[in-house]
Amino acid sequence: MNFGRNLTRGIIRENPTFVMVLGMCPTLAVTTSAINGMGMGLATLVVLIGSNVVISAMRKIIPDNIRIPAFVVIIASFVTIVGMLMKAYVPTLDAALGIFIPLIVVNCIILARAEAFAFGNSVADSFADGLGMGLGFTLSLTILGSIREILGAGSIFGNIIFGLNGLIKVAYEPVILMILPPGAFLTLGLLIGLINWKSKKKA
Amino acid sequence: MANKVNIDWKNVFKLGFILLVITAVAACLLALTNYVTAGTIEQLNLNTNKAARQQVLTEATDFEQVPGDKLATIGTAIGLKNSKELVEAYIGTTDGNIVGYTVKTAPTSGYSGEIQILTGISTDGVIKGITILKQNETPGLGVKATLPTFKDQYNGKSALKEITVVKSKPAAGSNEIQAITGATITSKAVTVGVNMSSAVYQILSK
Repeated sequence: MNFGRNLTRGIIRENPTFVMVLGMCPTLAVTTSAINGMGMGLATLVVLIGSNVVISAMRKIIPDNIRIPAFVVIIASFVTIVGMLMKAYVPTLDAALGIFIPLIVVNCIILARAEAFAFGNSVADSFADGLGMGLGFTLSLTILGSIREILGAGSIFGNIIFGLNGLIKVAYEPVILMILPPGAFLTLGLLIGLINWKSKKKA
Repeated sequence: MANKVNIDWKNVFKLGFILLVITAVAACLLALTNYVTAGTIEQLNLNTNKAARQQVLTEATDFEQVPGDKLATIGTAIGLKNSKELVEAYIGTTDGNIVGYTVKTAPTSGYSGEIQILTGISTDGVIKGITILKQNETPGLGVKATLPTFKDQYNGKSALKEITVVKSKPAAGSNEIQAITGATITSKAVTVGVNMSSAVYQILSK
């Protein structure tokens, strides 16, 4: 049983954001704060598990030649259904995560995992892969969001750290650049660089 | 190089048919989910809108919508260039007496497009509160328009004259509000919406 292996692969060794550099569009756009990063990550996690399981279960009836259009239809329908159900029955969750749901359809992590893993593996393995990749994505986005929020707004998860009313009482002028798009590129670039440097030293 | 391509028509139709089945099943599932959830979502939206109206005009217990054609006439009367910017208006009542008005506006002059603002105005022409219903402004800058520190500045301002945006702290008693640092465009767009609501109020209250 390589459930554990499938699970941890996505978190560290093949981390979707820092190692495979997948799904950059939502990564760069939504990580303006820690809570936004985590929200996007968790919403993606749920959809990724769902689409991996469905595609893995259907892998025997989808012919090879038309697998990509089939994936797109399945993923888009799944996301839309989850979105509608959330809006109707868990409006509080929808208020927090609803804006991320339509963004997930265009997240290439979902399609990449369907193509690279779920289409050739069992339902249980695909579930583990989706969970691991989703957790890895959530972790990366939360780290990115936290760094940008701390520097750009002086707070984390909305709790003020730097500032006259904050935990550390200093006069702090937030680096607004960090929560604007350039901040996303700077943070992501430096983090990927750091990870590559670390892993190279180990090798 | 003109190689003759042999198309296996039988296979093409087979694949096309399988794709048709997949999309048809997906469409059925989507239609079913929509059928089940549409009513609930509609009801929730109505409740959210009612709660928002209640929030900006606490005095009112009931709200009566101003008919669309009347609203269109008002839009023309106040010289609106884009009629879509005036979304809807309600008359707020308590025990059958008019206590105020709520106007939903959607100025398109925000930094990232449309901003939806709901403004509550009492019968004596005082702005009771505003709330931002929809916006797409820059995180950390324009988004601050949704925070009480900015939007509560409008409370108590007069709806009988235009509100202006200033960059420094406005004088007490003036009809000025202070712009958000680094988000003057957003501040001005919200003010456009509030001023539009004031103009609608001036006609409605006659």
